Amino acid sequence: MAIKGELILIKYILKSGIRMILLILAISIAAFFLMTISPIDPLQTNVGQTALGIMSQEQIEQLQMYWGTNENVVERYLTWIKDFISGDMGTSLLYHQPVHDVIVQRLFNSMGILLCAWLLSGIFGVILGMLAGANEGSIVDTSIKGIAILFSSTPVFWFALIVLLLFSVWLKWFPIGFSVPIGVMAENVSLLDKIHHGVLPTFVLSIAGMPNIILHTREKMSSVLKSDYILFARALGKTKKQILWQHGLRNVLLPAITLQFASISEIFSGSILAEQVFSYPGLGQIAVTAGLGGDMPLLLAVVVICACFVCGGNFLADIIYHIIDPRIQVKGKQL
Amino acid sequence: MRKKRIFFLLLLLFSLVGCKAETKKSMEEKEKDTVIVTMPVSSEPEAGLNPVYGWGAGEHTHEPLIQSTLFVTTNDLQIDYDLATDYSVSEDGMIWTVSIREDAFFTDGEKVTAEDVAFTYNTCKQNSSVNDFTMLHHAEAIDKETVVFYMTRPFSVWPYTMALVGIVPEHAYTSSYGENPIGSGKYILKQWDKGQQMILEANANYYGNVPAIKNVIVLFMEEEISLAAAQAGQVDVSYTSATYADISVPNYALYSVVSLDNRGINLPAQPKQEKDGILYGNDVTSDIAVRRAINLALNRESILSNILNGYASPAYSICDNTPWYQDAQVPYDLEQAKELLDNAGWTLGKDGIRSKNGVRAAFSILYPPSDSIRQGIAEEFSNNMKEIGLEVTPECVGWDTAYDLAQSQPLVWGWGAHTPMELYNIYHSQNGENARYSPYHNKAVDKYMEEALKSTDLENSYSLWKKAQWDGVTGIIQDVPWVWICNVEHLYFVKQGLTIPEQKIHPHGHGWSLLNNVDTWTWQ
Repeated sequence: MAIKGELILIKYILKSGIRMILLILAISIAAFFLMTISPIDPLQTNVGQTALGIMSQEQIEQLQMYWGTNENVVERYLTWIKDFISGDMGTSLLYHQPVHDVIVQRLFNSMGILLCAWLLSGIFGVILGMLAGANEGSIVDTSIKGIAILFSSTPVFWFALIVLLLFSVWLKWFPIGFSVPIGVMAENVSLLDKIHHGVLPTFVLSIAGMPNIILHTREKMSSVLKSDYILFARALGKTKKQILWQHGLRNVLLPAITLQFASISEIFSGSILAEQVFSYPGLGQIAVTAGLGGDMPLLLAVVVICACFVCGGNFLADIIYHIIDPRIQVKGKQL
Repeated sequence: MRKKRIFFLLLLLFSLVGCKAETKKSMEEKEKDTVIVTMPVSSEPEAGLNPVYGWGAGEHTHEPLIQSTLFVTTNDLQIDYDLATDYSVSEDGMIWTVSIREDAFFTDGEKVTAEDVAFTYNTCKQNSSVNDFTMLHHAEAIDKETVVFYMTRPFSVWPYTMALVGIVPEHAYTSSYGENPIGSGKYILKQWDKGQQMILEANANYYGNVPAIKNVIVLFMEEEISLAAAQAGQVDVSYTSATYADISVPNYALYSVVSLDNRGINLPAQPKQEKDGILYGNDVTSDIAVRRAINLALNRESILSNILNGYASPAYSICDNTPWYQDAQVPYDLEQAKELLDNAGWTLGKDGIRSKNGVRAAFSILYPPSDSIRQGIAEEFSNNMKEIGLEVTPECVGWDTAYDLAQSQPLVWGWGAHTPMELYNIYHSQNGENARYSPYHNKAVDKYMEEALKSTDLENSYSLWKKAQWDGVTGIIQDVPWVWICNVEHLYFVKQGLTIPEQKIHPHGHGWSLLNNVDTWTWQ
């Protein structure tokens, strides 16, 4: 029985793996064609009007060839995907460097912040959501709910600016941006410095990701507390603490995990804006540069990597369900 | 724009509270030979400090700092020597011979030779990204101190190209040169935290005057953040724009630099006709009387005070204040403008709009999206023209279609390069038909500019460029195929105690040109 169950699980993993690959492929196609129809003229953006204005026609034609503005769209995509699958992400048109090199460093920069923000927003989101749901109607509940609604309707960009003005300009507690101190040589930059620079972006991102989780957890908690089995538990004389811990948390955890993994995409998109404000050199910053600059190979690589994280997250959530809640079983096509 | 307005209000709020916090002496005394300068994010060269991929050249030309160039442009854009000590041009303009100085060394201790120069130019030609090298056939070192450029066509403004190309060492040029550049310039790149900052250090072995400012730290940030950085007192020079220039930042003074960064409008100078699916020309602006009337009816002073808070100067040509500029000033004169139109047969209709032979004096003025300055100029232009009976409708277009549309409708452009080639490409006809960006063709103008390019003497070429604008009989100034509105001033918040000497006229765009003379900045 156990072996059979595992086989089915493996089959399921394989199947959804293939589905994931197809999805990512579709995303890359969509991104590619959206880029080709974007109103951005790569020459105008990257070479610049003034530079074009002093060039000979011959030179402009050379540049059009370099930026591929005169090439067949389908052919370009096929060449790109062929190279990409064989592990060659191509050369960034803007950076004149392999895309791989450009991205790795940025990814590394972003990862610390993204991971921290993701965990913090998840943990505090669930805690606050449970607190609010357990005390429905009380002042604790209304204030948590109010704050959550306030922040969920606050644009990240704006919130980040406020935080920057408050903590960097006014209070001067934190640096004005960047991931390293201004004018300090790399060998003199300590881990503490890096953490100091990461605090504000992480704070903004975790706050931005929290409301969604708070509100959903609160909703679930309050409905769980109204259920028959809680009534029964109460009748058995269990304390509120026991009820919350034994029944509440377990029931809330499942939707919380779904949300937590689904929020990866939100954290990613939030990071693009937050990184702009904090001049933080991460994946978001490079996505903006590549997108606005018409750097196709770089943008596609960023898109595919982000898609991998988001899809991977959802996939992981599916697997974790199975581990956390034994009631969920993989049976053939169900699940 | 709304985003900016909200930010503006917030800044005011915080600067009120901030005044109190300022008294706490939070910043330690900085060393007096270091400056921290902010620049727009777009100023960070993606491919690094590599002249082969356009470092120093292109949209925003500036001195390459890390490398030295054969020639330099002076503050008023004349040509002067840097690495070069002498040069000559063959009679036909096809061979340039340049001798270079013997006391220049790369920062790795190797001497700068003519071979390095030839290598640089040949590599540039092969990889040219934003700089035009199609006029160069190849470069060759004939001995250690002499390099010869063989051209594909006469190009008298070649020294202006040579003033932009930093010389790279042949022995130390690799694919990662942009990240670890070695040059013979005033500064050395010590560190580059990508997406964040560059740290430059003075080159102690520089052949010229050793820089007074030993460390230059360049930070790349958005305009709003740059302002916040000044308010937090963390930088010495913070770039800004007319939008924020009126905010007072404690301990900082506003510093403005004259620029060639102009805004101008093309007026298609031929009647409408279709070719390959694109409309060329415009039946209203093809009338020379209309174009001249537009030039007279432009209230430049009011446009620049309304749109740019006065941080600009009126422009009358694409190349104001350059050695090749021919005075083109016109007065603001509505009466004369109306008279011109009346005499040309454009009669006022009941609705206040003129027409002639059934053609209504109406056209669009195009402006690119997300550029509030150009949008403002388009609106103001439209208002100005209404006064003389022209109906002009502002319209936003993306750059993917703007080039084609501008062939038949006026567009608000921005130019400003440190070379007469801009003048050439805007007014010279292509293949004997029309100019590149807007229909215009004057054989006399073409001829002067061709002669200017063939000239073997720079002074002589300046006078020919001027004649193309006006030779006493005909020229661009009289034909008015473009009208010029303003030269935008480049604005910076500069910390008290820092003195920046007079700057070279800035080209189009904010960026590195502020640092052209950073070696001579002083702290008190």
